Order: sequence, then C-alpha cells, then structure tokens
Amino acid sequence: MANRLKIFLPFGILVVLILIIPVLVMLIASFQTLDGGLTLDNYHQVITNRYYHLAILNSLKISGITAGVSIVIAIVGAHALTKLQTSTKQALITLFNMSASFAGVPLAFSLIILFGNAGVWRAITTALGWPNGLNLYSLTGATFAYTFFEIPLGIMFLFPVFEELNPQWREASAVLGASRGFFLRQVILPVILPNLVEVFILLFANAMGTYETAFALTGNNIVTIPTLIGALINGELTANVPLACTFATIFAGLMTLIVWVGNRVTRSKWEVA
Amino acid sequence: MLSSTERFYARFVTLLIFIYLVMPILATIVYSFATSWVKTILPEGLTLKWYQQLVTNPDFSAALVRSLGLSLGTTLIAMACFLPVVFYVNVYAPSLKAKLHFITILPFTIPGIILVTGLIQVYANLPIPKSLILVLAIALLSLPLTYQVLNNAFIAHDFRAMFEQALVLGERPIPAFLKVILPNIKSGIFVAMLLTFTSAFGEYVLTNLLLGGNFETLKIYMYRLMQSNGQASSVLTTIYFLFLAFISLILILIMRHANTPSKERSKHS
Repeated sequence: MANRLKIFLPFGILVVLILIIPVLVMLIASFQTLDGGLTLDNYHQVITNRYYHLAILNSLKISGITAGVSIVIAIVGAHALTKLQTSTKQALITLFNMSASFAGVPLAFSLIILFGNAGVWRAITTALGWPNGLNLYSLTGATFAYTFFEIPLGIMFLFPVFEELNPQWREASAVLGASRGFFLRQVILPVILPNLVEVFILLFANAMGTYETAFALTGNNIVTIPTLIGALINGELTANVPLACTFATIFAGLMTLIVWVGNRVTRSKWEVA
Repeated sequence: MLSSTERFYARFVTLLIFIYLVMPILATIVYSFATSWVKTILPEGLTLKWYQQLVTNPDFSAALVRSLGLSLGTTLIAMACFLPVVFYVNVYAPSLKAKLHFITILPFTIPGIILVTGLIQVYANLPIPKSLILVLAIALLSLPLTYQVLNNAFIAHDFRAMFEQALVLGERPIPAFLKVILPNIKSGIFVAMLLTFTSAFGEYVLTNLLLGGNFETLKIYMYRLMQSNGQASSVLTTIYFLFLAFISLILILIMRHANTPSKERSKHS
C-alpha cells in the first residue's frame, strides 16, 4: 500500500495542482465578477454580445470546414499509405508527425512567406502576370492554414484503422458476387464508421482549441474562441480573466458534449454491427 | 498481391499530400537563403548573411538556452510522474488501464488555451514561480503522448514475472526496476522523452499567456521576429524545422532498429 502511494504520489500531485484545482476554479470564476462577487453577468454577456457570437460562430465554422476537408483527404491518404512498403510507411508516419508539430507560429510564418502580401506566390504570379487570389488573413485563409496540421493528424489517427482491414474480405465478397459499391457500403463502412466519427471529432476538437496558428496568422483580426480567451487574458481587449474562464467553461462543456455524443453514436453503431 | 496500378496510385496520392504539406516549409527554407525575392520567379541571389546575423544575435542564444532548459525540466518531470504509474498499471493493475486511457483525450477537451484560464486564476497572485507552474503544465499536457508511447513499450514482455523473479532473488524494488525492467523498455522511454522534449521545445500558448511574454523562448522570439524581420524569422523557422527533422530522423532510425529483430522473431515462430 505504501509502495502504491509512492508510485502514484508525484502523478497525483501533478494532476491535482495543474488539472483538477484549475479546472474547478475556472468553473467557479466563470460565475464571478472581476472583484470576486458572484454573478451571472459573464454568461449574460456571452449570450447578448454580437462580437462574442461572432467568435463562437467563427470557431465552429473554421473547425467544421477544416475537419471535414481534412478527414476526406486523410481517408484517401491513410488508405494509400497502407499500400506502401512497411519501412516507407513508418518513415512517412514520422514525417506526418513532424509536419503536425510544425503547426503554430512557424506554420503561420511559412504560409505568410508563401501566400502573404509580400510572399513567394505573389512574387511568382506578379512575374508571370497572373491573378494573385487567396487572402491569407481571412476566415478562408485560417481554414486553409488549419489543414496543414489537421491532414497529417487525420492520417496518423486513421492509418491504424485502415491497416487492420483485411484484404481478404474484398476477395470473399467478390467471390460471393458483391459489387465494389456494395462491398464498400455493407462491409467496409460499418467497420470503419465509428472510427471515422471518432477521428472527425478529434480533428474538430483540435481545430476548436487552436490558438497559436490563428493568433500568429491573423492577430486578432479573425476572432475565435481561443484568440478571444487569449485577448481577455493578456489585456489586448480589457483584461478580464473571469470572462475568459466563462468562455473556457463553455468551450469545455461544448467539447465534453461533442465527445459524449460521438461516443454514443459510435457505440450504437457497434451494437448494430 | 497489389497490382502495379494500385501501387502507382498509392505512391502518387501520398506524394501529392506530402508535397502539399511541405510546400510552405520549402518556400521558407529557400527564402532564408535569398538576398531578395519580391517580383521574380526565383530569388535574385543566395546568401548566408541572414544566418550569420541571427546566430550572432544574443537574443537568439538566450532564447535557445531558455527553450532547452524548459524542455529538459519538462521531460524530467514528465518521466518522474508518468513512468512509475505506467509501469505499475501495466504490471500490477491492468484493470486501471481503461481509466488511465481516458486521459489520452484530455488535451482535446481541455487544450492549453482552456487550461491556462484556470491556471492564471489560481496562481497569478500566489508566491509560486510561474516558470515552475509552466513546466508542470507542459508536462501534464504532454501526458497523452507520453502515456501512449510508454504504454506501448510495456506490451511486448511479461514484465510482472521478470520483476517478481528479481524480487525473489533478493533485489530491492528500485534496483530491480533499474536492472531488469529498464533495459527492456529503454528505447520506449527514449522515444517518450524525445517526444516530450519536442513538444515542450515548441510550446507557445502557455508560455505566452502564463508568463505574459516575459520569458522569451524560441517560439516567442520567433513570433517577435515575425512581426519585425522577415529574413531573420525565416532563418529561425528553418532552424526550428531542422530541429524537428533531426528528431524525426532519430525516431525513424529507432523504429527501424526496433522492428528488424521482431520481424525475424515472428518469422521463426
């Protein structure tokens, strides 16, 4: 028993100090004013203020679109990856991991170098006399930027799923006279659908929580929930930590709800299968 | 067996995605060597002067030292907290695994930007050094990744039997762990340390918001340069990329090394 305590002690202290206490305080502070009195005013502000609506709407829009686009590309990519040689597969997975870690300031900067107002793309199109297109500092630009880490993440999550599919199923169903479409719909889809839902939720949640890339790319031009929280903390708007806690609480609630719904959906699918 | 068209298609698709992902990185690398690149298809000339300017800048070395220190501290704390737990759960209490596994989705429901609100509210006015809180927080947020890697390291062998035999033979628990268990999982531990180190080295959100930009790590410095000096920033981004590439190379080599014998083993059995 004493040994067990010794083993769990450092871990326990870390979790209590850095996770449990701060999350509880975050919940409580979301109902507090700047000087500590209890209030519902923070939530009232979130509900009535147009600017805050915009932050929530932008976050949902960017995350939904990037997660959707990225998962489609990740499905194609992870599927193709399973057909390569084992050593190539592992090297590529590591490289995808690398490009996912490149997210944030370096990614934003690289994209500005490539597609920004004084960027390489502009230099090339100007030299050739082509139209310049793409505005990087917009909602579309942010969505585009997020795909650079969402696609590799999606491939890394989906690859093990596709790796487990048995190629003999295809032969078996072909022998039994199934068409390719029937095989995909009736055999493959029921097996991978729960995983697809799960990965979609992970990608969506990851995009929702992205602060660094959004902030480095657009400053506070495009307001999302994370950049709004950042601005409320470091005082670019008026510093208001309790209001930041309110947004964080709403965010955590929203994510818990989505993960819970996702679990329910995938579980019922498992039961049917 | 795969047909050659299928294999060609697979290679083509992977290549396409790969090009898409590395395109901005490549542009940045070329840009960091360019004298000027404004209205031409290729840069006007190549130079190393931006590198020389950045590397000799004292701000750069100071930021580098801070980042390395932060990453080292985080890695040590993460290992001290997680390794015993992962070992214990795998060897003595597999029933707890499901509960621990739950934490692997943690950074998705409570990412850094959410956690930092509570941390500030709790610790902003307490007389505890913020850098300590920062190290602990980064260690916690690296948990899912570390847990996954450490956990995989324990799958291959029956560590319980090994550990208990060592205890029966009169070894005390900690030396037994160090002598019998550690050599078997050292590549797993090394990979976990490397990944924790990398994630701490690239940390931005917590460092920026918790310490208000006063503690200038490489990433914070990169953001400052990005606002003011494109050339210097492209050099720093390239250096950061090389760091990630180097770590990836080590990881690839470790996995190659770890996989070859196990494949032979499965062929024999």
